[in-house]
Amino acid sequence: MYVCTTPHNTYTLRSIVVWDANISRIKFKDMEKRLLPSFFKVKNVRDAIIITLLISLWSAVGFAQTINIRGNVTDASGKPLNGVAVQVRGTPKGTYTNVEGKYTLQNVSNDSTLSFSILGMHTQIIKVNGRKEINVLLETATTALDEVVAIGYASIKKADLTGSVSSVSGNDISDRKTIRISQALQGALPGVSVTRSSSGPGDNATIRIRGITTIGNSDPLYIIDGVPGDLSIVNPNEIESVTVLKDAASASIYGSKAAAGVVLIKTKRGVAGKNQLTYDFEYGVSQPTRIPKFIEAVPYMKMANELIWNDKDNTGSEYPFYSKDEIDNYSELHAKDPDRYPNTDWSSLLKDYTPHQSHRFGFSGGSDKIRSNVSLSYDDQDAITNARSYKRIMAWANNDIILNKMFTAHIDLHYYHAIDKKGHGTPSAYLLRGEPVEVAFYKDGRVSNYRNGDNRWAYMLRSGSINSWANEFNGKASLDFTPIKGLKITGVVAPDYSYYKQKDFVIQTPMTSIDDPSLITGYVKNAESTNLNEVRNDAHEITTQLIANYSTNIGDHDFTILAGNENYYSFNESLSASRDQYALNNYPYLSQGPLTYRDNSGSAYEYSSRSYFGRIIYDYKGKYLFQSNARYDGSSRFASKYRWGLFPSLSVGWVLSKEQFLKTTPFLSFLKIRASWGTLGNERIGNYPYQSTIGFGNSLFYEGTNVISSQTAFISKYAIEDISWETTKSMDIGIDAAFFDNKLQITADYYNKVTSDMLLPLEIPDYIGLDNPDQNTGKMRTKGWELDLKYSNKIGELHYSISANIFDSKSAMGYLGGTQFLGSQVKMEGSEFNEWYGYVSNGIYQNQDEIDKSATLNDRIRPGDISYVDISGPDGKPDGIISPAYDRVLLGGSLPRYQYGGRINLGYKGFDLSIVVQGVGKINSYKTADMVQPLRSGVYGVPSFVYNNYWSKYNSDEKNEHVSFPRLSQIGAGAESASSGNNYVISDFWLFNGAYFRLKNVGLGYNLPSSIVDKVNIESVRLSLNISDAFSIDKYPKGYDPESSYSTYFIMRQFDFGISVTF
Amino acid sequence: MRNKFLLYTIACVLLSSCSKLDLNPLSEASSEEWYTNDTQVRMSLDRLYYFRFWNPDPDPINFDNCGWLDSFSDDWTNRNSVSAIAGGTLNGQSSVVTNWWKFDYECIGAANTILAKLEQPNDNISKDKINQYIAEARFVRAAQYSKLIFHWGDVPYYSKPLNIDEAFKLGRTKKEEILKYIYDDFDFAASNLPTTYSSSEPQYATKGAALALKARIALYMGDWQVASDAAKACMDLEVYKLYPVYQDLFLSKTKNSEETVFGIPRSKEAGIVIAKNQTQQPLSRNASGNDYVQPSWDLLNAYLCTDGLPIDQSPRYNPNKPFKNRDPRCTATIVEFGTSFCGFPYYPHPDSLLTTNLKTGERVSNQDSRGVIQYASYNGLAWRKHIDDAWTSDFQPDPEITVIRYADVLLIYAEAKIELNDIDQTVLDAINRVRARAYGVSYTETSSYPAVTVTDQNDLRHILRIERRMEFAFEGLRYNDIIRWKIAEKVLNTNIYGMIDPEAQREKIIKKGLWFFPETPQIDIDGVSDFSSMYNKGYIDILAKRSFNKSKNYLWPIPTSEILINKNLTQNPGY
Repeated sequence: MYVCTTPHNTYTLRSIVVWDANISRIKFKDMEKRLLPSFFKVKNVRDAIIITLLISLWSAVGFAQTINIRGNVTDASGKPLNGVAVQVRGTPKGTYTNVEGKYTLQNVSNDSTLSFSILGMHTQIIKVNGRKEINVLLETATTALDEVVAIGYASIKKADLTGSVSSVSGNDISDRKTIRISQALQGALPGVSVTRSSSGPGDNATIRIRGITTIGNSDPLYIIDGVPGDLSIVNPNEIESVTVLKDAASASIYGSKAAAGVVLIKTKRGVAGKNQLTYDFEYGVSQPTRIPKFIEAVPYMKMANELIWNDKDNTGSEYPFYSKDEIDNYSELHAKDPDRYPNTDWSSLLKDYTPHQSHRFGFSGGSDKIRSNVSLSYDDQDAITNARSYKRIMAWANNDIILNKMFTAHIDLHYYHAIDKKGHGTPSAYLLRGEPVEVAFYKDGRVSNYRNGDNRWAYMLRSGSINSWANEFNGKASLDFTPIKGLKITGVVAPDYSYYKQKDFVIQTPMTSIDDPSLITGYVKNAESTNLNEVRNDAHEITTQLIANYSTNIGDHDFTILAGNENYYSFNESLSASRDQYALNNYPYLSQGPLTYRDNSGSAYEYSSRSYFGRIIYDYKGKYLFQSNARYDGSSRFASKYRWGLFPSLSVGWVLSKEQFLKTTPFLSFLKIRASWGTLGNERIGNYPYQSTIGFGNSLFYEGTNVISSQTAFISKYAIEDISWETTKSMDIGIDAAFFDNKLQITADYYNKVTSDMLLPLEIPDYIGLDNPDQNTGKMRTKGWELDLKYSNKIGELHYSISANIFDSKSAMGYLGGTQFLGSQVKMEGSEFNEWYGYVSNGIYQNQDEIDKSATLNDRIRPGDISYVDISGPDGKPDGIISPAYDRVLLGGSLPRYQYGGRINLGYKGFDLSIVVQGVGKINSYKTADMVQPLRSGVYGVPSFVYNNYWSKYNSDEKNEHVSFPRLSQIGAGAESASSGNNYVISDFWLFNGAYFRLKNVGLGYNLPSSIVDKVNIESVRLSLNISDAFSIDKYPKGYDPESSYSTYFIMRQFDFGISVTF
Repeated sequence: MRNKFLLYTIACVLLSSCSKLDLNPLSEASSEEWYTNDTQVRMSLDRLYYFRFWNPDPDPINFDNCGWLDSFSDDWTNRNSVSAIAGGTLNGQSSVVTNWWKFDYECIGAANTILAKLEQPNDNISKDKINQYIAEARFVRAAQYSKLIFHWGDVPYYSKPLNIDEAFKLGRTKKEEILKYIYDDFDFAASNLPTTYSSSEPQYATKGAALALKARIALYMGDWQVASDAAKACMDLEVYKLYPVYQDLFLSKTKNSEETVFGIPRSKEAGIVIAKNQTQQPLSRNASGNDYVQPSWDLLNAYLCTDGLPIDQSPRYNPNKPFKNRDPRCTATIVEFGTSFCGFPYYPHPDSLLTTNLKTGERVSNQDSRGVIQYASYNGLAWRKHIDDAWTSDFQPDPEITVIRYADVLLIYAEAKIELNDIDQTVLDAINRVRARAYGVSYTETSSYPAVTVTDQNDLRHILRIERRMEFAFEGLRYNDIIRWKIAEKVLNTNIYGMIDPEAQREKIIKKGLWFFPETPQIDIDGVSDFSSMYNKGYIDILAKRSFNKSKNYLWPIPTSEILINKNLTQNPGY
């Protein structure tokens, strides 16, 4: 029994006792202390908290006629329900059921009302009416329509939504066992396209919402607990839900920042009375999903000879480089002297698998006055080579403080620290560049002598590393003020500080002679000297918000009105410094390098915005729904005359199932149609686009015979002063329906977006002498649809749910006023967004006669090269020349179509199983020269799928007609550069349908039965097994994952074991 | 009360923190207030001397080196590959074309902006200074347009800053017309620029530089009289001299010699050097290079013998000892077998398995021999010009970018006069000065070197052409010369030859005592070696094939993107 004294009275604080006995294992021993007469002279934080608690309790104690109530809560089958919130309505008083489903409430007014709620069950409201024992049975809620979803600065019941919004629960994210949220969203939400090009330690994925509607930065806006932020600071385990605002009506509350969609992340908060200490541990290994295979030394040497011979027009020796003797005797030579006659499988330099582990230690809980969710987590991932690793530490604290009826405060503190170590280069790229007749290291471990010094594996594994340290701290303090019922005024201050440090230390790496370890024969390319390059980046940003939200109802008319103001400011400063020619290899510090070879630079920028926004929600009997949002944004990125933009939106919904004429339809549980229209803006085009800035540089001059450096100034970018917002207007029609007692739910959407005044760096003539500026020009249309299905039910004790989504979008560029060239892709009037742009191929030339009769790109085309169609010429008709100006055409869109995802969840007693699949129905993928060209640059490895499948003088004519790859060549025809080659320039010859289906994730979990865990006084123990990226079905060249690119890290298949213990 | 107080406080804090939206660049200046005072104008002018605008190499991003331009010519080999130009695969997307075009116009655009600002009245800068500034900007503009009309013919011409609409209206101006503007700019520059600067002030463009570059473009365009007059005017300034030691002229240690008429320095201290990964390419493997690019045998054969005769006519030539009795520039450009090079004797003989590290005296394996390393020089040669120990100590040499040197002015003068058929002693003197310097003697000591005495126009024309090839190898001039002499269709439709593999060499050549060359090739009047006899006997092999299409390759293609976005631009024929 705890007692405290005030100047006048002594109260026995029964509530605290109850609270303590019921759930908490934290003892506030200090409560036995006599509190000081004055509340303002507290000694420490804990006292303050206690005092705060007491003040609130004070008011709750001792006024009404009170009774004690007890009871138990079960589900329909009679199984006790643990953790049900039992709340005395209209008061902060409440408790939770224990594992036996029992609860006790003391000093409750005898005429009060209790609510019993838990996620996944229908909430029950029961009047006390003087009863002292109330037993309750809760029914499983099969509808997600009662779910509350975030809509930006507020939340709303899903049933009342009028815009297009999708959400996914935190569990579905943490189940994926990725340390990045972005990767866990793949296939999870309709309309949300997540693409990866690698899954290296710490790598992020790219998120696109409803295709691409804007140029440049198409990343969605991430709002973390109401404040714009960086996704990387959030540990997937802390997420309560992720909500995506897809249409303009939903997103326009974020106005100019929302053109690419909005992702709202809600993180977990403490729940009163449910104190839990959780330790999560995961250990796993990963391995590349696929590794390209390359041919061995002997066939390689033959092909290398053939290539040179081809480039000499098949004159001269057919053994121009590797002699016949050497080839014929290679296996013996290799056996005798593998250093001199290697037969290297470069993938043997990779580890077979790579481990990773995660730990998280978290507490969640609190009282009805203070609630917290705090955690500390650590992740450690290794890579497929020793040269790379990633470590991350995150600290997380979300606190809610209910001061009194009028004031609630929230203080959130987050910290993130990541240590990323990378070797120079990427293993996958180096794999395919390896020729089998070279070794990186001799048998004795020395760095081998290499053709061009281009010993890449030595460069990656021996020549130092790029280490970076990222730190980010962000905080959020907010205060809710509720002066009258229905009105809430919230003030938010959210600062974010980040600091990034990078040290790139290159260690001079000598190569030595095969016979003579003391003879340095050169230095590994790019590691010719020891040098250090340091980068520091310092950034801070601050968001402040003042928001008022008022809801009321007049009869059947419900109104919610929101008004707010948001300010944002960010500042970024970076500096870099380097020195070269270090004498020693073990002091990666600037002061250790010579003065002669030093360089440094620095720069800074800032950006600010100010916004006013508002929203009105109206609904009549929950049947007719109406919502309107508007945001008025000002950005420092535009000149003051063109600075402000207004982004309104309007949406309506009609819940047909509440109408009399449908109420009797037995299978229909819910039906709503909705329509929306709205506008969004985009302003992400650099920080000072309307100003022609003067850049600074240096030129050298002679002064006598001395050389001096002189500072120079120049305009580098053409400025367009009236540049302003890009606007996207978007229309959306959707249906939400539920059938069979809400077991089957369907959401479907169709949308049409038009982006105008698009900000594009259109090609301007190079002879202006300045870079292409961003201009407000042109139009783009995107149409798309989304379908989301979910069915859940149970058979006996087997609970199951199946969900699937499929979505598609297609863009078309309208009048642009120009063109934007992007290498092999283009944006021009009539094209899709970044459509492939190249030649139309006509197969492979089989003989000289065919060449003589056709137009060619250059004079070095020979039989075995790819032939192209002469489409046009300067006069608009074929001119007998294949030229990049007149014979390239649009070859189809480059963006994925018909993306889909699916999920099956099964639950049986303590077991649960989830299966996630994901894929792309159609995509024009491009076999890049890096992937498929044998002997690239004349020497790189030969992919095994090319071997015996290329045009060759040594083949029969018949075989040559059926090969998939052109002849071997390095000069002209075979050159890899788009400019001087023929065979590997972009053409439809190399395009194929890159559609894929992937078994994304299979997770099996088991919760130990309470009969076991109760004995050791543990609340729950969960074991889990998980496989990610198990396999895929696709038409990619063998060895390539459909999502990987040759130059990035591999896509990894991951196996995880996890254990989670809750005390 | 407390609640209200708290509320007011918070509301005040939040509302008073409204973001300021008028933000200006922090680490850059705004163009609005620029060009107002002397310092700002000077800084803008200094930009025009940025080394990338003057690098003779066409693709300064990828090849930031001296002499890489020669990869387009017949002086060059690169293992089994050839460049886009020498290989005949150039098109409007080639990086050579797009980068050069872009860099030249970037410089022209900057010069035009400065000129437009200098036309406005400015009380902060004295009239004399303004004149010099205008002269500098016009000098630069003319130099850049000279490069453009030489490679592309007719190009878009403008002399005032362009806005986007004006730019899209621009078509190609006739090169003859542009040439007139170029002359005007150079003439203005020549009359307003100082002849010299004191040794305590930065050396900007000079009168001599304007005259020399004017002479060059006039010569390139076949405007002989203008060329000879401008060259003569430059010579008459008497501020330039030939540097006494030919080989040292190109080394990093030689800064601003009296021979440099216009040059842009590099500097290790300022971080402007030849990139490390480029430096290793021409270096021999013993010198820690990777022996990737070499002088061609065509170049080696082009050097005259010490009697002034080509190798197929001179009794002093011995194919087994191809470096003996040759013009001294031969061994100053190509490493002579057996001589010391970057700390090792250079000897590519396939049986020379060991060599001596001259710094330590140790016997080590000879990485320059294909008997040891297959990737040693494919044709046995190694490039010496520009290279010394400064390259191998840190792989960051900083030799000057010589835009034009006095030897070129002399030979421009001589060539123009020959073409005018106005051949007098000054013509012979000009050639002989250049040749005598290579021999380290005065041009008047005609017995000490093979002085030129011929006065027949056609004979002298070919002597001059060989002289230019010997003098300017690996300075980025050979390609220009074969283009304007219209011999590219001949010299670039040839094979690049190299050595057969070591085993075959031993069998066919070494055993018979025929190493290095078993035979003397015939050299024609344009300096083309005929290797067919040796090739047919299997002594040598083809490394790669050059290709040049005379119907189109004399001009470069306009960059494809320029053609696609601007209907007023036409492409050069054949592309």
